[in-house]
Amino acid sequence: MHQAAAYAAAVPPHTYITFLALVEAIIPYTAACSAPGDVQSAGAVQFGVHEYLIWELDHNLSLWQGFYLTAVPLSAPTAELLNYGAAQFTALGYNQAPPCCAGRTGCPFADLHPADRIRVLSMLEQSDQLDLAPLPPPYRNDLGIVRYMIDFISRQTLFGNYSEWPAYGSTRLRVPTERRLECFPPGWSQVRYPGVVPGYRAFMGSVLTIERQGGGTSIVCS
Amino acid sequence: MCAAESMFDADVIVIGSGGGGAVAAKELGEAGLKVLVLEAGAWYGNKHWANPNSEHGGDWSSDYKDLDIGIYKKVFNSYENNMNDVVSGTFRFGPADRRRTPWHRIMRQKGDIWQASGVGGTTQHYWSQSPRAFPQAIDQVWPLSYRELIPYYEKAEATLPVQFSPTTPKEELFYYGAKKAGWQLNPTLNVTTPGYRPNPNAILPPNDRLMDPGCSLEELSDMEGCTLRGNCVNGCASGPSVDRIAKRSTLVSYVPLALKTGNVAIRPNSFVIKVLTSHDPKEGLRATGVQFRDTWTGEIGELTARTVIMAAGCIETPRLWLNSSLPFNEWVGRGLTNHCFDWVGGVFEEKELMRIMGLPEVYPYVGHTSGARVDIPGTGIFQVSCLSPGLMSFLTYGFSEAGYNALNPPEPGEPWNIRGRVVGPQLKELMRNYSRTMTMLLLTDDDTLYRNRVEVDPLLKDEHGPIPIVYYTPSPKTLKRRDQLARYASETLRQAGARQIIRSDTPFGFMLHLESTMRMGYVTDTNCEAFQVKRLFIADNSVHFNGIGGPNPTLTTQALATRTAEKIVAKYFS
Ligand SMILES: Cc1cc2nc3c(=O)[nH]c(=O)nc-3n(C[C@H](O)[C@H](O)[C@H](O)COP(=O)(O)OP(=O)(O)OC[C@H]3O[C@@H](n4cnc5c(N)ncnc54)[C@H](O)[C@@H]3O)c2cc1C
Ligand code: SF4
Repeated sequence: MHQAAAYAAAVPPHTYITFLALVEAIIPYTAACSAPGDVQSAGAVQFGVHEYLIWELDHNLSLWQGFYLTAVPLSAPTAELLNYGAAQFTALGYNQAPPCCAGRTGCPFADLHPADRIRVLSMLEQSDQLDLAPLPPPYRNDLGIVRYMIDFISRQTLFGNYSEWPAYGSTRLRVPTERRLECFPPGWSQVRYPGVVPGYRAFMGSVLTIERQGGGTSIVCS
Repeated sequence: MCAAESMFDADVIVIGSGGGGAVAAKELGEAGLKVLVLEAGAWYGNKHWANPNSEHGGDWSSDYKDLDIGIYKKVFNSYENNMNDVVSGTFRFGPADRRRTPWHRIMRQKGDIWQASGVGGTTQHYWSQSPRAFPQAIDQVWPLSYRELIPYYEKAEATLPVQFSPTTPKEELFYYGAKKAGWQLNPTLNVTTPGYRPNPNAILPPNDRLMDPGCSLEELSDMEGCTLRGNCVNGCASGPSVDRIAKRSTLVSYVPLALKTGNVAIRPNSFVIKVLTSHDPKEGLRATGVQFRDTWTGEIGELTARTVIMAAGCIETPRLWLNSSLPFNEWVGRGLTNHCFDWVGGVFEEKELMRIMGLPEVYPYVGHTSGARVDIPGTGIFQVSCLSPGLMSFLTYGFSEAGYNALNPPEPGEPWNIRGRVVGPQLKELMRNYSRTMTMLLLTDDDTLYRNRVEVDPLLKDEHGPIPIVYYTPSPKTLKRRDQLARYASETLRQAGARQIIRSDTPFGFMLHLESTMRMGYVTDTNCEAFQVKRLFIADNSVHFNGIGGPNPTLTTQALATRTAEKIVAKYFS
């Protein structure tokens, strides 16, 4: 098993499935709009972005506890947050689409239709009526931190997907200094970004130029 | 000099080597003072730190010859996740050791604080736009006049140096739209009326041979001048030596100049945890030095100096004041401004682009990250700003005060078709149009409010003490101006021919332009010396009286730091 697979295998299954369901709802596999195997069809799950989120959340926070600086992993409590939100959502009868795999995953969030997962995110960041007491720290009774986190995982899914991260391949879950590119980033292929290049011959002139002579400054229009 | 005085380790200690600290160090070194700079983060491009993110390396560097372009370019590899991941990237706010977590700040709202540690501070990934303040935001508002700032602006502009941005396709398209929307060219550095202009950027002009196919781009990127590689935000790597890198972060501009004076030594990996003071019979409470923690070993050191400059940025400077138990001042940490950003994008059809520019794409990844703007004193600025795809995707579609576009679509008649986060197949479709999308950053003239603040958590600590909590909610007036800017920006996009217009409605808590948490006139006098602690000066964005009307803040900090250095020499060392 390569290192990334070993890392992922060590994550509790509930956490893993929940993040997989999250990134799938944000950037799905879209077979319909492209030929099979086309890079355009791949979504965040195919790029492993759920693993990226888990890594990011588990390497995000350290606090001084007693006499030591202690890392505080956040992926498990954040998965709990999403599942708690999903359970409340279903109990309130908010579902608008048939569940995709009710009861099969053991994770209320992953059981929902992808569109309803997005509604859960929206509910969590808006609702000041939800009872946040049953949540684990740092979310217990702290709507502000919930809002911060929903926002973080949403945008970070996009950043993981459309940056070079998936191309680190088998090294993608190593410490950042030990990651190595194994292919051209697939998210960059999807958007036709040429990648890192030394420059472009794209100089089209200057509208204004600052000239400095003898301490004074003048502006020249071209 | 009395015996006690001669026992100081230095004339001046500077805390932080970012946008402001590096400037103060260079100016004071040039004036002949002995300066020690303590910087919390790593040093990229110095022989003493060959593997800056995985080994402790040396302690101090004070020699210009220590700078090493090979090490610099190895670290600055331009890959956006490697460089700019807020958790683990080279440019995060955290310890040099990238195995460790970043340094935490608590925010109970959407958004993020985008600051970088390391020599050069946040200017390592800033876009180097260096406009002056809007005069109307200074005159009769600040306790000093715009005219008093002008010579210092000129000095900082010449030192960096600042030059207007070259035109590349995205600027061409921006000018086309802005002109059609009725904005006039504003050929000035002192902006008193609305209009468009190229950005005054701290970027060296393109090399004369850039358009000469006889010179390869690889060769050009090792020569002097910008190669238009579009990576300013991911760390510029074009240039023949550290001090001639095209984009003029203080890491490559003021820091090398500081070292050249022979009077400045810099210690990275050194987080200052306390400002030391004593009671002087004549001066009263005065700063005498600092206590710092080595971020690799955890060892605590102390250094003393005749004067101390705080330049740790808008969050850490007030945090350090509070954690050092310096005298109570109700404005410490208060009055935070942030230009309440917004972000507007337009997607173009190929045939429209062909018609306007004779080119099939916008090429958002070519040229300065941000190359042109419309300034509107009293309201703010909108500026073309285009990023690599990972960053562009999250800024345009990944976060929003407005929630999800699909759940809460814009009202009919609004100038944008999309407002808020986009997910699912629609997101993929929009991202497929990345190279035909032009995005703009909006900077709002932001009201300075007492309620917007940095404080420290009563319970939670990291290795440096109680951690900062940041609160920011814009005023209704700020929001009105921001909305107006979004309409202006959308109109320019529409005039340029955009088929779809997207307004992100950026989270208020997305903070890049933090200012005014240690305001001049409240916490410091006009020399930037703290009212309550003599010989303690401030030389970062926190000392601004307000958000300077919307223009990007760093040049004003650099002008002020230049002036503060002059005042320090005059008051304590002449
Ligand atoms: C992506 C991005 C783009 C930007 N683009 C522009 C732009 O184009 N134009 C512009 O004007 N502005 C821009 N800005 C803002 C600009 O970066 C800041 O205005 C500028 O860096 C502020 O300078 P400063 O000295 O206040 O803080 P910083 O540059 O953040 O420097 C503070 C330094 O102090 C160090 N430090 C903190 N605490 C301690 C401590 N306790 N002990 C020792 N050291 C400490 C930090 O590590 C850091 O190096 C941008 C910001 C971002 C994030
Ligand atoms: S566009 Fe930016 S990153 Fe590229 S060479 Fe010019 S300054 Fe450097």
